[in-house]
Amino acid sequence: MSIESPGSGVAKRSFELGDELPSLRLTLAQGEIADFVHAANQAAPRFISDEGARADGLPGQIAPGNMSLAIFSRLLDGIAGAEVRRLSATFRAFVQPRIPLVASGVVTDVENGDGGTLLHCDILLETETGDRLVTGTATLFLPNDT
Amino acid sequence: MILDLHAHTDASDDSRASLEGYLKWLQKKRDVVPVDGIVLTEHRQWNPDVDYRSLEDRYEIVILRGAEVETDYGHILLYGVTDAMARRFDFADVHLDAQQVVSEVEAMGGIAAPCHPGRPTIGLCEHYEVKGALEGVRAVEALNGGSRRGENERVEDLMQRHGYKGFGGSDAHLVSLIGICATEFDAEIHDVDDLVRELRDGSYRAVDFREQVRAARA
Repeated sequence: MSIESPGSGVAKRSFELGDELPSLRLTLAQGEIADFVHAANQAAPRFISDEGARADGLPGQIAPGNMSLAIFSRLLDGIAGAEVRRLSATFRAFVQPRIPLVASGVVTDVENGDGGTLLHCDILLETETGDRLVTGTATLFLPNDT
Repeated sequence: MILDLHAHTDASDDSRASLEGYLKWLQKKRDVVPVDGIVLTEHRQWNPDVDYRSLEDRYEIVILRGAEVETDYGHILLYGVTDAMARRFDFADVHLDAQQVVSEVEAMGGIAAPCHPGRPTIGLCEHYEVKGALEGVRAVEALNGGSRRGENERVEDLMQRHGYKGFGGSDAHLVSLIGICATEFDAEIHDVDDLVRELRDGSYRAVDFREQVRAARA
């Protein structure tokens, strides 16, 4: 999978409402989705090929929901040292190969505690043209001592 | 005055946003999303007991309430909801009769306005092609912040053909999407009575802040 990202993680330690997570730009290849579902032991025909998907009444090959969650996990990894405490998603439309995608996130609330900071984030997986495919929220914990 | 006429808090089963989350966001982002108020339109429900006046005062944002119900012509937003309306219609019923909803809500002092009309299956356009037009519709959601490419464009034709007014709403289910589409009213709106009066006979237009939100995030 070809992902354009700003690096292995932003080392920023102080966040406020409205701060952006480093976004990811990617395009899934058909073979990458097939490889993913084989590795995840969920090799249903709709995830393997366009023909298999059309036999299920779908417009073409689609990526499984947990592959979108994996993309979100990669997105959240953009903040160095942060632990993912919670991740949830709503699947609004099919994620398909060959379509340029953008995964983005923004901090919607910050809770400062004794051991660190909780960052509540909205996360989106959209097409480059702005169609929302998967939406979600996540909570990250940023320990004080990292 | 600018109001987002279509928003869902976590009282709706598919929303992940708290009301206070929306208010904090709007307070912080007023330069990008200059919304003066929001109308909460929770899915398939009406709770007569909630009171948001302290939050309105704290954040200086108007908070009004409506509902989004599901009918045989797709989803419809209700403004000016009363307990009598909630007794007349089972808001949890996903097969309400749209013509009854439009006519009777109007007679009971509210207004029923179809939302995301260009959306497949749950939008008005598709149903009009098969079943003909409803009587008594005054306005539709011309701009929906959750619509995909082409869906809002279908609504322009619908509005021209039937002479409907158009308004906008974000259809936000996440904090950061509140206010991205909204409605600009020429008149001031302080309560639901003002809102219903203006939606019926006032001057208003849909406004789109998506580009400036994108530009601010870039």
